[in-house]
Amino acid sequence: MTVVIGFEGSANKIGIGIIRDGEVLSNPRRTYITPPGQGFMPSDTARHHRAVILTVLKEALEQAGLKPADIDCVAYTKGPGMGAPLVTVALVARTVAQLWGKPLLGVNHCIGHIEMGRLITKANNPTVLYVSGGNTQVIAYSERRYRIFGETIDIAVGNCLDRFARVIKISNDPSPGYNIEQMAKKGTHYVELPYTVKGMDVSFSGILSYIEEAAHKMLSCGQCTAEDLCFSLQETVFSMLVEITERAMAHCGSQEVLIVGGVGCNLRLQEMMGVMCDERGAKLFATDERFCIDNGAMIAQAGWEMFRSGQVTQLEDSWITQRYRTDEVEVTWRD
Amino acid sequence: SIYFERFHHFQEKMEIFVIVHSLDVPFPSSRDAAIALRSLSPDREPRKGGISKELTVSGSTLSVRWSADEARILRVSVNSFLDHLSLVLETMEMFGPPVSQ
Repeated sequence: MTVVIGFEGSANKIGIGIIRDGEVLSNPRRTYITPPGQGFMPSDTARHHRAVILTVLKEALEQAGLKPADIDCVAYTKGPGMGAPLVTVALVARTVAQLWGKPLLGVNHCIGHIEMGRLITKANNPTVLYVSGGNTQVIAYSERRYRIFGETIDIAVGNCLDRFARVIKISNDPSPGYNIEQMAKKGTHYVELPYTVKGMDVSFSGILSYIEEAAHKMLSCGQCTAEDLCFSLQETVFSMLVEITERAMAHCGSQEVLIVGGVGCNLRLQEMMGVMCDERGAKLFATDERFCIDNGAMIAQAGWEMFRSGQVTQLEDSWITQRYRTDEVEVTWRD
Repeated sequence: SIYFERFHHFQEKMEIFVIVHSLDVPFPSSRDAAIALRSLSPDREPRKGGISKELTVSGSTLSVRWSADEARILRVSVNSFLDHLSLVLETMEMFGPPVSQ
């Protein structure tokens, strides 16, 4: 049996999870929530993580019913993400790895999402749509790499949603995306927005500028409601994502789609993707907020795969990196 | 041009005035000091130039030496180092002592 503890804190969530051979033993998490209209800044987020990380670590061990001696490897997020929060989490991971005399393993955050999705859904070789506040990529596995077929050319889809939420002062609790999703259910009028698919890639910054500008005008003269805007924004950006995912599936001859990342727990996105999959006779795999949204177990799971295939990270090589592409990692644990 | 001269002058000034700051942190044992050193060393300064930081251990003392071009840059680095150090110390207190190897 191999037990891996995973530390995640690349954005505004701090999570620590423990995995034993595919079984999630514990996965506590805290979210740094800012007031409406405000995003999370790196230094404030790092301060939040510093304040709670040791409590979360205690919880992870207690809920799993394990002692440090039972752990075989300490995995942490090496990147990509915000520098200051990443360093905070890496510091604790390095320190406990040394205190407990365990090997350390730096994990690519995106790979964590993919491996957790594969574990939970049992999808075998899916086309992956990875959508979150910091990333938007369509990924397929080939020849020991998770290859990026399409991606955003500017901001992530989740960043577009988060920043729209700030403009019309939607609450960030539990997350702006969740609140947009709930409001969108009450939208009745579709406001036409730019639709920006560029081949296999997508662009969201122009849509954001457009809706930022339109929102105040349209809302103040009663042309539409905030709910209508939430609905229209979701329909537009999710259609774009479904389109590029479908095209990637056609290229790869794939009959499986796996949605991962924080935006992946949006049920409307899952529904729209499901319609496309039905039409193609393909199967859709998705997870709920426990595993879609950043968490420690996903880092533990990717770490488990890497550790079992013989990888470890030496302390001197354990620096964090804000930029770390999904296709930089050699996938040593798949055929 | 005047801009070039100003720039040149600025660069010279930076080379002449370097602010140096040092800090010694005592640990209960040399083993603890070595753990802290290896936890705190891997990450480079986020800023490309204008500052350098060197960490060393002698016995049970961790020593840090900064040299910076500007007090402002130095202050940012020292502050963030102290945040990192206190987190490492708290971690050692809560999840130590190190297992015997």
